[in-house]
Amino acid sequence: MSALRASRRWIRADLRARRGQALLTVLAVAGIVTALITSATLLEDGTNPWRGLFTQTDGAHVWISAQDTADAGKLAGLPGVTGVAGPYRSAPVTLVQDGKKSPVALRALPATPPKVAHPVVREGRWLDSADPDGVVVERSLARATGLRLGSPFTVTALNGARHELAVAGIAETAEQGFYPEWTPGLAWVLPETLDRVEPAAGRSESVIGLRLADPESARLVAQGAVTLLAEKIQRVSTWREVRASMELDNRLLGLLLALFGVVGLVAAALAVANAVGGRVLMQSRDFATLKSLGLTRGQITGMLVVEHGALGLLGVALGLAGGQLVTMLVLDGAGLPLSLGPTAAIAAGTAATVLVAVAVPAWRGGRTPPIPAAPAAPPRGHLSKLARLALLVRLPPALVLGARDAFTRRGPALLTTFGVAIPMTMITIGLGCWATLDGFLDQPERVGQAAALTVRPGKLPAAEAERLIKADPGVAAYYPGSEVDALEPEQTRTVLARAIGTSAQPYPFVAVEGRGYADRGEAVAGQGLLDLLDVKIGDRVRVTVGGTPLILRIVGRVVEPDQDGEVLSFGLDSLAAKDAVPPEFYALVLKPGADPDETRARLLAASGQDLEVTRVENPAERLAVIRVVIVALIAVLALIGLANLLTASALGLRDHALDLAVLKAMGLTPRQVTATLVTGTGLLVLLGVLAGTLAGASVSSGLIDLQGHTSGVGAGIGRTPPAATLAVTMLVAVGAALLVALIPAHRAARSRVPLATR
Amino acid sequence: MSGPEPVVRTVNLVKIYQTGGVPVTAVDGVDLRVDPGEFVAIMGPSGSGKSTLVHMLGGLDTRTSGEIWLDGKRVDTLSESAWAVLRRDKVGFVFQFFNLVANMTVADNVELPALLSGATPRQARERREYLLGALGLAERADASPAQLAGGEQQRVALARALANKPSLLLADEPTGNLDSRNTRDVLRLLGEVHRDGQTIIMVTHDARVASLADRVVSLLDGQIVDDGAIPRPVRRPRGGAGDVVELRS
Repeated sequence: MSALRASRRWIRADLRARRGQALLTVLAVAGIVTALITSATLLEDGTNPWRGLFTQTDGAHVWISAQDTADAGKLAGLPGVTGVAGPYRSAPVTLVQDGKKSPVALRALPATPPKVAHPVVREGRWLDSADPDGVVVERSLARATGLRLGSPFTVTALNGARHELAVAGIAETAEQGFYPEWTPGLAWVLPETLDRVEPAAGRSESVIGLRLADPESARLVAQGAVTLLAEKIQRVSTWREVRASMELDNRLLGLLLALFGVVGLVAAALAVANAVGGRVLMQSRDFATLKSLGLTRGQITGMLVVEHGALGLLGVALGLAGGQLVTMLVLDGAGLPLSLGPTAAIAAGTAATVLVAVAVPAWRGGRTPPIPAAPAAPPRGHLSKLARLALLVRLPPALVLGARDAFTRRGPALLTTFGVAIPMTMITIGLGCWATLDGFLDQPERVGQAAALTVRPGKLPAAEAERLIKADPGVAAYYPGSEVDALEPEQTRTVLARAIGTSAQPYPFVAVEGRGYADRGEAVAGQGLLDLLDVKIGDRVRVTVGGTPLILRIVGRVVEPDQDGEVLSFGLDSLAAKDAVPPEFYALVLKPGADPDETRARLLAASGQDLEVTRVENPAERLAVIRVVIVALIAVLALIGLANLLTASALGLRDHALDLAVLKAMGLTPRQVTATLVTGTGLLVLLGVLAGTLAGASVSSGLIDLQGHTSGVGAGIGRTPPAATLAVTMLVAVGAALLVALIPAHRAARSRVPLATR
Repeated sequence: MSGPEPVVRTVNLVKIYQTGGVPVTAVDGVDLRVDPGEFVAIMGPSGSGKSTLVHMLGGLDTRTSGEIWLDGKRVDTLSESAWAVLRRDKVGFVFQFFNLVANMTVADNVELPALLSGATPRQARERREYLLGALGLAERADASPAQLAGGEQQRVALARALANKPSLLLADEPTGNLDSRNTRDVLRLLGEVHRDGQTIIMVTHDARVASLADRVVSLLDGQIVDDGAIPRPVRRPRGGAGDVVELRS
């Protein structure tokens, strides 16, 4: 009790004396915890709206589209099925808004919402038989197309007839992903309305949702359904694909943050240990004095742990709050906060790490011998042979002395070097991510996006569309294409089959492995597809497109940013004529320097708004938020590096405060003294920066490729940051470090240190 | 020996350092007895073991063999922590380099020992105000040690050492780092404290400083070679030493 009061006085005085350093510790720890909380939230799926939506809508686990009225009764009898939604009739239509066309599936649902998979109305109301023109629009479609309650909803059916409907409600569902990543968009109407819009039964399909007792059996049930319905089946999707489509980017971000967070935590722990250790060395005389006054070893250790631990814990608390704030801001309030378990685990984990990092140097502080008479001096050593040689060849003495000083204390020197190297590694990896995104933008052809524009002929005949495209001065080449659903061999799920170009004029895919397709029956695939089908290059796969079996030989792997890489691409001539003609769209490769927006405007004007021209969305645009994350993380890591640097610089100064007078007496000018002090810290920083950059550069593209591989996009995207960027980063890091070291060194060199205190 | 209970008594005290495998005997069989109210100066050349002896008496250093008795209690067997607790009430230290806690104000430095020994903040403050006032430092209470001159710092250190009215004040070269004027001030204060009944053991290599004490113990190579009281009348006012003596009277 009595020691508490004394300890409290000491802690308060010490904190007051080093506000900046204390603040830095708090901020660094808070930044790391924020990153960890955010990443865990992203990884936990809490931000994935699928989970919430599925629960709210009592969703179905498997969705099956089939020709005609499928026999729902039979499907309901499948083992494990607890509920059935539908069958609903669904017809493809095009939503027309001021020349903009969006593909929409119009689905007929009754006025009383079904028990299983009932969309939840967010705005307006559900379908009402009193208003047969009312349509309920899926929320992401409404958002993407700017539809509001009461907006006109003009659709053209396949026969070209126009129908004026109006938005009566906006609802959400867990049966498909968000528009436009998942097309077509979804809108619900009453059955009689659909009959009016699309009277031909042959142009519509039946959609059935199955709710299962065990979600894990979705694949099995899907297989059963396929066997039952045989060739009538058109598309199968399970809850996993829907969930995956909603979470893709979050997961990537989460992984990135988790990587940075965990490594950052190690770096922060090092920084804290370094700071406390340096502090303990600097205060060893004070501790000796305190012991001579009657503080015990345990009390000094305890005092140090409390002081530095409290800073760490304050950081953890701030980080917890920060994490909540960031997830709320970034994710726009969507999704659930991190559940209690992981939050507690992160808080406890970081707190424990910080406390251990504090406890070791604190324990050493407690063991300071209680004789405070002589100031603790750094271990002395002779000039090394290297140093003698350096002096002999007339290197500046300040450099030699500083270089020698840098390593007199081995432990702190190592801690400082590592403390700088680890943040630098992570910063380099961050820059690698940045460079990878830049690579996506600069060379879209490498990620399978050679074409900048996609043109859909719409009402125009294919020949007319081709004529218009050919006439445009900005177009270098165009490739007809169709995207169809292909049932994979086991027929339990659908993959995207992209027929584009022809074997005579193949679409310019850049094959990362193998080669591009060059003949009928050859195909290239994304990593996701190879993993899904468990095939490798050279294998043949059998898929079913529109009921026709198609055997393809995979000759190459391409980087495939769409659909988790589960895409098969081949020439249009590999496809049966009924599926290939006329082409659904044209992919336009522009001449170098041609602006996609101008070309688009030109094509639209030339066709009298009849062509539907869309820009291809680059994955880098979707991942733009990663750049924000990288900048934030670099800031936190820089803070950690700075904390290490301040420690090293303070320790160097302390070790030399007494040498200064001697150095001056020996004839070193104040400037040389400053240079000696700065070299001592600068050399360690330089080593750390070099090591960190090298380590980061050597692992960054490998790490990014690993992430690419697991996410299905495929290896081959990773980039090492350009040499110039690295050079600038290193220069900035070393320069900032020298600057930070320079100010106190300069002050110390100018101050008058009495020789007598020795 | 008879008489009152000694404040400090050592029996055949030995300290051997192991430096680089070579044993160095710093203190070699010292028998010392200091009675309450005595002012003992320990003199000797550099390396004679005088600082080591004083450090052992205050428990800052461990003995190799022998006994140390403090206020009639054997203390050489105490652990480091037990020594620390003992120091709070029984021992005050003054060092050559003042050793004030740099981050704390003068007031905090002086209040620290009182707080440690269980005084309430109010009691600690009152004691500090009294001590600083007596030492002429009342107006410097809120200054940081770095703002003080050497002599002022040593006076603060003295105030801190006396904060708990210790049985024993140990001073290790208290004037070793001071100019003559400040030396004079600090010695005058030590004299005043001694006159109030404080037992003091002071290490010095300066005969002029030692002449202030009642008794001078001379160490050479860790052994007591001379131990004698300074007869009061034998004061030869001569040179710089005269100044000191003059001030005492």
